[in-house]
Amino acid sequence: MITLECASLKGFLDCASLAVSKGRVCAILTETEFEKNLLLRIFTGLTRLDSGKIFIFGKEVSFFSYSELNAARKKMGIVLNNGGLISNLKVWENIMLPLSYHSSLSHHDMDEKMISILGKIGYDDDIAVLPGPLPAYKKRLAGFARAMLMEPDLVIYDSVFEGLSPDIRSKVLETITAFQRQKEGRASLFLDMDEGLLDYIRADSAYTLKKGKFYERN
Amino acid sequence: MKTKRITENILDTILYLSGLFNIILNAFKNLPSLRISPVRTVFFRQIYFAGIETLGKMVIIGLLIGIVIISQITSLIGVGRGELIGKILIWVVIRELGPLFAAIVVIARSVTAISAELGSMNAQGEIASIEMMGIDPERYLIMPRIIALTLSAVMLTFYFELAAILGGIIVTSLFWGIPFEQHTTGILTSLTIPELSASLVKSLLFGLVISAVSCSQGLKVSGSITKIPQATTKATMQSLFFVFIFDGMITLIFFL
Repeated sequence: MITLECASLKGFLDCASLAVSKGRVCAILTETEFEKNLLLRIFTGLTRLDSGKIFIFGKEVSFFSYSELNAARKKMGIVLNNGGLISNLKVWENIMLPLSYHSSLSHHDMDEKMISILGKIGYDDDIAVLPGPLPAYKKRLAGFARAMLMEPDLVIYDSVFEGLSPDIRSKVLETITAFQRQKEGRASLFLDMDEGLLDYIRADSAYTLKKGKFYERN
Repeated sequence: MKTKRITENILDTILYLSGLFNIILNAFKNLPSLRISPVRTVFFRQIYFAGIETLGKMVIIGLLIGIVIISQITSLIGVGRGELIGKILIWVVIRELGPLFAAIVVIARSVTAISAELGSMNAQGEIASIEMMGIDPERYLIMPRIIALTLSAVMLTFYFELAAILGGIIVTSLFWGIPFEQHTTGILTSLTIPELSASLVKSLLFGLVISAVSCSQGLKVSGSITKIPQATTKATMQSLFFVFIFDGMITLIFFL
């Protein structure tokens, strides 16, 4: 799904290689938030490498046209730590944004899909409000619902468990696991700075980013 | 050293202007995206904010300006020359004040709003988040703002001019007893294609340049939200500057 081949970016990556395969759960631990965010930007094609190659869904990013890159991003669901919601759109508009932008479903079908997903993830707050005053966890949940609606092949979770109580964390984990199994070949990639992540997720492969290289963990 | 700095400044200005031109060009290229529902929503919201919400105030300003202009003209040239009064009213309002006032109102209301909104979205990573969803910000954020602000400027100009002319005619008819027909003759003979085209071209160009400047300044904000006030100030001042430059240029082209 995502492959880095001897990827280098000045001051950040130094001939680093990594592969996130179809149907797998992968975790990458970074030392700083800056590294984690930059990694996310590289995986989504927002930041280009100085040298080396990055393949997204089997195609090298530098060969993508802008519309092809957007088509690839459509197949990725990104659940950001802060939710990544647009502050001038209401929560429901945020959740529906990628679906209503990319799909040709009727409003009724989209509404039904959203309501079903919100039920699954246990989002029971008012969705007709602006996201600003919501707690970070709720924003993250709304971001997760937004990603789920697109039925992505790859989901990138950006520190999604940060600041959650063990109870809520296990609920979120359950939802993530169920979502992962819902579609054959769907991969999950967890980006985090917390070493404890590996205690509660079952990753098929885990890496630590140190001094510009990925080190596989046992 | 001084020459080098001047050259750099000129190059920066050329680059900036070509950037503005690109924003406008891409907005037209991306027009078909108005078929996409969320893009249309952004477009209608901008039309509502920049155009419809401002309409009432614009009409009142227009009426008052019309009254002021006609009072001044009448006191200058006397009461018995309704045809000439109508002519001057058309020249002043349609050629100059209509597009200019509409542009100033749009600048006061929408330039700050758009540059601050886009600046805050950029600084808080919302634009990156939009891109991560496979949505082109130029289509979703920029194009609807450019087109909506331009259409709003044209619409506000039209209503301003209508209100100013009507206000002027009503006041002179009521207070100075100049027959209504005298005005209409003056107005209809002066309302020629060049007058109307100059007004339309000005308002279109003002709308395009104002929206492009506000989007460009908003998108330049990165890293910290403390840069937003600088961006809004720059956007306002640059918009005013461009509006006056284009106003002079178009007047010269059409009427010299």
